[in-house]
Amino acid sequence: MVKQDLIERSPVRNFEKSLGGGVKAGEIGVIVSKKGLGKTSILVQLGIDKLLQGTPVVHVSFNQQADHVMTWYEDIFNELAKKKNLDKAADVKAELISKRIVLNFSQETVKTVQVIKTIKALAEGGKKPEAIIVDGFDFSKAIPESMDQMKAFAKEAGISIWYSANAETADKGLPASLKPFEKDLDVVLYLEPKNDCILIKALKEHNKADYVTDLKLDVKTLLIAEK
Amino acid sequence: MSIDISKMRNIGISAHIDSGKTTLSERILFYCNKIHAIHEVRGKDGVGAVMDGMELERERGITIQSASTQVQWKDYTINVIDTPGHVDFTIEVERSLRVLDGAILVLCSVGGVQSQSITVDRQLKRYHVPRIAFINKCDRTGANPLKVRMQLREKLGLNAYMMQLPIGLEDKLEGVVDLITQKAVYFEGDNGTEIRIAEIPAHLQADAKKYRDELLDAASMFSDELAEAYLEGAETEEMIHAAIRKGTLAEQFVPVFLGSAYKNKGIQSMLDGVTRYLPDPTEVKNIALDLDKNEEQVELTCDEKSPTVALGFKLEDGKYGQLTYVRIYQGMIKKGDELYNTRARKKFKVGRLVRMNSQEMQDINEGVPGDIVALFGIECASGDTFCGGGLNYAMSSMFVPNPVIDLSITPKDKKSSDQMAKALNRFTKEDPTFHCFVDPESNQTIIQGMGELHLEVYVERMKREYNCEVETGKPQVAYREAITQRAEFNYTHKKQTGGSGQYARVAGFIEPLTEKDYEFVDSIKGGSIPNEFIPSCDKGFKQAITKGALIGFPIVGTRCTINDGQFHPVDSSDIAFQIAAIGGFREAYLKAKPAILEPIMKVSIEGPQEFQGNIFGLINQRRGIILSSTEDDNFTRVDAEVPLSEMFGFSTILRSSTQGKAEYSMEFAKYGKVPNGVAETLIKEYEAKRKAEQK
Repeated sequence: MVKQDLIERSPVRNFEKSLGGGVKAGEIGVIVSKKGLGKTSILVQLGIDKLLQGTPVVHVSFNQQADHVMTWYEDIFNELAKKKNLDKAADVKAELISKRIVLNFSQETVKTVQVIKTIKALAEGGKKPEAIIVDGFDFSKAIPESMDQMKAFAKEAGISIWYSANAETADKGLPASLKPFEKDLDVVLYLEPKNDCILIKALKEHNKADYVTDLKLDVKTLLIAEK
Repeated sequence: MSIDISKMRNIGISAHIDSGKTTLSERILFYCNKIHAIHEVRGKDGVGAVMDGMELERERGITIQSASTQVQWKDYTINVIDTPGHVDFTIEVERSLRVLDGAILVLCSVGGVQSQSITVDRQLKRYHVPRIAFINKCDRTGANPLKVRMQLREKLGLNAYMMQLPIGLEDKLEGVVDLITQKAVYFEGDNGTEIRIAEIPAHLQADAKKYRDELLDAASMFSDELAEAYLEGAETEEMIHAAIRKGTLAEQFVPVFLGSAYKNKGIQSMLDGVTRYLPDPTEVKNIALDLDKNEEQVELTCDEKSPTVALGFKLEDGKYGQLTYVRIYQGMIKKGDELYNTRARKKFKVGRLVRMNSQEMQDINEGVPGDIVALFGIECASGDTFCGGGLNYAMSSMFVPNPVIDLSITPKDKKSSDQMAKALNRFTKEDPTFHCFVDPESNQTIIQGMGELHLEVYVERMKREYNCEVETGKPQVAYREAITQRAEFNYTHKKQTGGSGQYARVAGFIEPLTEKDYEFVDSIKGGSIPNEFIPSCDKGFKQAITKGALIGFPIVGTRCTINDGQFHPVDSSDIAFQIAAIGGFREAYLKAKPAILEPIMKVSIEGPQEFQGNIFGLINQRRGIILSSTEDDNFTRVDAEVPLSEMFGFSTILRSSTQGKAEYSMEFAKYGKVPNGVAETLIKEYEAKRKAEQK
């Protein structure tokens, strides 16, 4: 399979279709779940999908070392390449890596303003990202203004942003830790484990709320399942 | 003097540049009563530290060559091997590591785990060297040993535990709390030689208890005896030491000491740590390769009665001739013994045997297993193995990276040119990453090494030690060429006009190969090329890949397959088939879409957060790819991959654009394809050069 097919037949296409176009430029999405259900995996898949399309991606991690994040990309890319029997996988991978930058911050000492400043510095150096992925951000320790700043930056620079968040339950509406940030969030997804798969529920999707999507994660690989 | 092997330690001191490693070595020598005054590295008294033997090292404030020094601490014998801190000298570091049994990982209490700490820690892991950590410079503003301890865990993944807590920090550093004995230790008097034990100050008691519990919980993992005793509150110091030692030797535990070498605080406690927790030579497994049995692995026993096995790990040229530092792994070395150099396959007699205290030496009659001694006047290269008793072993080969940078040198006058040969001869023997050859085309002497600084230091040494002045050319990156697709050839070499003729036809294909540089495959069926000429084809291909058609650099990653050919009963010869193979290769080469490869370096830059933008900019201007950036407090670290050709003069530029506050380290990562634009320029330059030479 060549790269173009990999993009067109990616489960991410269906993911976006089911979510009213997904998270577009200037928007912010959040994936919420308990630990270990596959938040990072989805984020990395979304990142790889953007990178395959030639879009520069900045992956911000608050809880993992840069090396670990790179290993995530490596593993998921290898898995995808093997599954789809991708042509010239090594070349494609080298191209992806050249468009990805991993930033690692400690949330205790680095504020959102500083994160934005770093990304702007990258943009000035000619490495402007079009998609940002933020993993390991602790919403319960953040102030609502930080999300306002991020949202403003996303709009101004035309960047789409995906966050992950830890939360225990979400029966209806947003979990308590996300409530203060609701107005800045365009899409909020919740991962719910079932026996043989992990269901993806939309707690908020643009103007809609609380519905079960037809999207699933494969429990073994934590990849977004194909239809 | 007989030495109890269980009371011997061979240790190295590994650290990031400027963590105060040489100062620490000095203090160790001092406290062991070997030298009588303490000198600073860049001492105002002009004497300079004892370990930095060479003038040049003194001038630059860095340690280039590792000297081994023996000291006595209490009733222990410690061989201290000082290792260079700059990455350009990595081979020196790695060679020292091979002979160490344990290491002190020195960290700066302000800088913490820096890029080079990561490199040296990786090296220590590769050679399975147990280590203790010493957080130095606790007297500096901003010192935070507990933060450094966390970094040891997070960045290096070490199971690090505090053995001590500081009493006061920065300029108020007075001493340390020993967590095991729960006593305060003060270092008083001139040079901190008087140790005063006292009760822990009241404000530190709660912390001391907390960290002791933490330490004991961790140590209990390694000893059931301690775990049980600890539950009942009946643990003894011996039990704790034994458990920590066990964990440390298994590389599963790293005891953390702290202090300030400069202010003479905490060194003695750390030395106790060395003798308590680091292994003696019998506790380290050493493997040799039996050359008579197809390099089968043999475990060496640290026993006096076994036949001798020793490794020459370091050469130095002194006033009295060549001095070879040797680590004895098995058996003894005695004056007058006959030993066998297994690489050179030569026997030699042990003449003078000495033990080194940096520049002072002491004549001895024998060396015991586990010890480090020096031999005089032995003809050998570093990394050679010496055996006695008819053994033919080699200590497992040390990992030697290929050089990535070339520099042409021309002697300034006749006298220099004689000296230059001498100097180069010695440097290549001392340092396997330093190569030199004469370019047959330009007739210039080319030296090759691991980085700009690496070569600069050798040029300086030629001047100082050999009084040999040379002019250097522009540093040249060691490019490679490689094919990217399969291509066929069918080439006939024919010269049958008068005299004995030449005739050979060779057909087949070349294709890219990832695992190896070169492979030859013979798929000839039906004898279209007679067996006797097959090796000629192989030889021809090997000749062809030494120089690519694009820019004249060696070709890597090629498999050459021959599947057809023709010969002439009279006119075919070895040389005819060689020429045909070369012709065939050249025919196919350009069809196989060759590309130019360049060395790509992994570069780590660290500095204050305010310069982050500048750092990003510098990388981008150099065709670099930013891999990641880590920010903590006001400190930022950027990892990137940058082509070596763009890194020339980088240290100056980095310094000027960050007010000297950022530093960088780099090491070879891989060979990568040169972008088209750059490749075209290189090809044009090569063609212009060739034309100029033809004129």
